[in-house]
Amino acid sequence: MTTLIRLEILRTLRNKRYLMFTVLYPALLYVFFISAYGSGGTVDGGVSVKSYFMVSMATFGAVGAVLTGSAQRISLERKSGWTRQLRLTALPGRAYTLGKIAACAVTTLPAILVVFAIGAIEGVDLTAVQWAGLAAALWLGSFVFAALGVALGYAAEPDAVQPVVMIVYMLMALFGGTWFPVGESLKGYARFNPVYDYNQLASFIHGDGVAALPIAALAAFLAVFTAAAAVLYRKDARRA
Amino acid sequence: MTTGTGEVAAFRNVSKSYGRVKAVNGLDLVLRPGETVALLGPNGAGKSSSLDLLLGLREPDSGTVELFGGTPREAITAGRVGAMLQSGGLMSDVKVREIVELACKVHPRGHRVDEVLATAGITEIADRRVDKLSGGQEQRVRFALAVAGPNDLIVLDEPTTGMDVSVRRQFWDAMRAQADAGRTVLFATHYLEEADSIADRVLVLHKGRLIADGSSAEIKARAGARRIGFELHPADGAFDEAALRALPGTVGLDVSTRADGVRTVRIRSADADAGVAALYRAGYYPRGLEVTSLGLEQAFLTITGEQDRTEEEEEASVR
Repeated sequence: MTTLIRLEILRTLRNKRYLMFTVLYPALLYVFFISAYGSGGTVDGGVSVKSYFMVSMATFGAVGAVLTGSAQRISLERKSGWTRQLRLTALPGRAYTLGKIAACAVTTLPAILVVFAIGAIEGVDLTAVQWAGLAAALWLGSFVFAALGVALGYAAEPDAVQPVVMIVYMLMALFGGTWFPVGESLKGYARFNPVYDYNQLASFIHGDGVAALPIAALAAFLAVFTAAAAVLYRKDARRA
Repeated sequence: MTTGTGEVAAFRNVSKSYGRVKAVNGLDLVLRPGETVALLGPNGAGKSSSLDLLLGLREPDSGTVELFGGTPREAITAGRVGAMLQSGGLMSDVKVREIVELACKVHPRGHRVDEVLATAGITEIADRRVDKLSGGQEQRVRFALAVAGPNDLIVLDEPTTGMDVSVRRQFWDAMRAQADAGRTVLFATHYLEEADSIADRVLVLHKGRLIADGSSAEIKARAGARRIGFELHPADGAFDEAALRALPGTVGLDVSTRADGVRTVRIRSADADAGVAALYRAGYYPRGLEVTSLGLEQAFLTITGEQDRTEEEEEASVR
């Protein structure tokens, strides 16, 4: 099983489109946002532009990496028959999905760290513990989206998966505070958007303490997405 | 190597439908150790469906499928079955060597990677990316996945599709080596010469049913394996169609008469030697006598054609 997982990670890192889309693109957007909002400005009740968009672009890249890495690939490999071929090996059925999630978990790190590096250069000032804590929180949070990606990969047909993933991704980003802060009137609803909760994980660096509610919400999303992924996987296995 | 019952695989009254289409219809079949078996049938005969059932990729609606006395999944987990599917895709963004290595590592008793690359004849493309291969090369990589370990049964679904003639020959040499090592080989094909020259048992599947099962010589015999052709001139004696039909081994008879009274006779015969001997003994003087062999292809068409006619008659009698 480790061979499969290693190979999944390797091939994802080899894919140039992945690097463009999930690492370079959010990093460039981050630089753009800093200059557009003015590097000294604040948003969302006093949070500095630099640290707000550092978090939102890191999550944007991480969610993108995870959704394309799982949903798109699973769907394509169901179509090509690679999943059938794997079922003719001694590998247990869960190995394939675990391999995808492991590859996702590795590939979110560059997406997060590159944006952090730019943030540090631009002058985001955090303690070492805060940097490490933030990186860990965002990395762990990405597993919620890996589960969603697996579910989408088994739910959507190969021809439809790209637009479906894009629409889900963009809507969650749009109403999750990725490109601009969520307005006060919408915050009550935003709690039901996993990307919003994901961004809220960073609230402790703004002196707001650990975000218990977003953590609980993300845990609930993780449970729901995992259950959905398991059901859809079994359904697919029966259809072969 | 095999189970106590000596059965590699067994279908027992297996049926599978997709919607209203009966893909597999009451299939009863046992494969024994060491056999090289060809599965023949026109497109849509249920070949791929049968292989899917055999490998546990699909569950039968009724009946049971056993591999080595257990479920297909158990046999696969134990590393006793290797398979190459028509619809088996390959991983993208990886090298040939890497995907073969994966197959060797996950097999409980996997061979060495270099060995498998050599067996499949893909050593020289080992460092190529899988997504950059030709159709024939891809097939050989799939074959490598099927022989990554010492499997007792190898299942191949139309393995030589996309291979050119010389590669195809190499492929079958590799396959024969597997069979010579005592492995059971089951392959579906629509190249009849492959079935004829490689298989020691031929199964003919038609509309989800097994309609013939025997050596390729037996299948040909059943269809009337040879054709006896000759002319009968009126000057040489009287013509008696019933007597011709009664010749030993006659399966089919076709007589056409020219304007000058010369009859052209074509007999499909399961025993041409006895038929010709009896022809002379009966006092005939056949002119321009020719005995030609019917290929497996002709035999196959004859058998499936007969099956279609029988079914039509059955339907007609029901009405």
